[in-house]
Amino acid sequence: MSPNMFYLLASILFSIGLIGLVSRKNLFVLYMSIELMLSSVSLILATLSKVLGNADGSVMGLLIIGIIAAEAAVFLAMIVNLYRAKRTLDSDAFNSLREGAFND
Amino acid sequence: MLEVSIFAILALFMLGGSIAMITSKQTVFSAFGFLVTMIGLGGMFALLNSQFLAIAQIMVSVGAVVILSMLTILTVNAKEENLPKEPHKYKWIMFSILLVTPFTILLYKTLIILPDHFSTIGTINAKVVGKLLFSEWVLPFEILSILLLSAMVGAIVIARKKRKRPGKKERRA
Repeated sequence: MSPNMFYLLASILFSIGLIGLVSRKNLFVLYMSIELMLSSVSLILATLSKVLGNADGSVMGLLIIGIIAAEAAVFLAMIVNLYRAKRTLDSDAFNSLREGAFND
Repeated sequence: MLEVSIFAILALFMLGGSIAMITSKQTVFSAFGFLVTMIGLGGMFALLNSQFLAIAQIMVSVGAVVILSMLTILTVNAKEENLPKEPHKYKWIMFSILLVTPFTILLYKTLIILPDHFSTIGTINAKVVGKLLFSEWVLPFEILSILLLSAMVGAIVIARKKRKRPGKKERRA
């Protein structure tokens, strides 16, 4: 078992999160893609913790898990609020800050 | 050898879960794929001797975050016509795979510069993590606690139903 396998898995997971972020329109899928990217970073940190032989990476991964929890709370509340406003989960529908969108 | 086979099984689960997450049309199936990915990530942490991190991952990410998002999905209960119309979904996914693949290769090539062998350390259990967290990492820990508090307040404020404020005349009456 070598660290390269973990690095490969983490980069593939990060890229899958990026693909989901740019190609889908569902708000929940966007949210889960962002979480997946953050989680792959914490996988890299845990791998580094074992490679370098101290527990610092593990502690940083723990802090990232806390950040994921905070992000989940705010993002889900935002999705509920947006869905209540327009009754859709399409991210293209929420463009009221775009230039010229006030006219229609 | 056993470790490699455990890694292979977990990696298959994680990749399958994440691909199911970004391809499925129904949001609940995406959440199930996300759940499988998070459980696999907990197994990876256990494989990397990060015992406390594995338990925290299972408890926080799986037990709280994924369950909270599933509850929100089921509460929102979006019908077919409220979901976004994505007729060219697979075309977009293929196109973004083409765009993202060079970035993946760059990321991997950057990461394998790091040393290619594991050091022999014991299990990183709660004692080690706790000692580090309250000596060297105490400032990020406190900042994280303030972040969690503000996220909680922000979530309550955002998700609250806006009550119509009574106008001045009604208030006087």
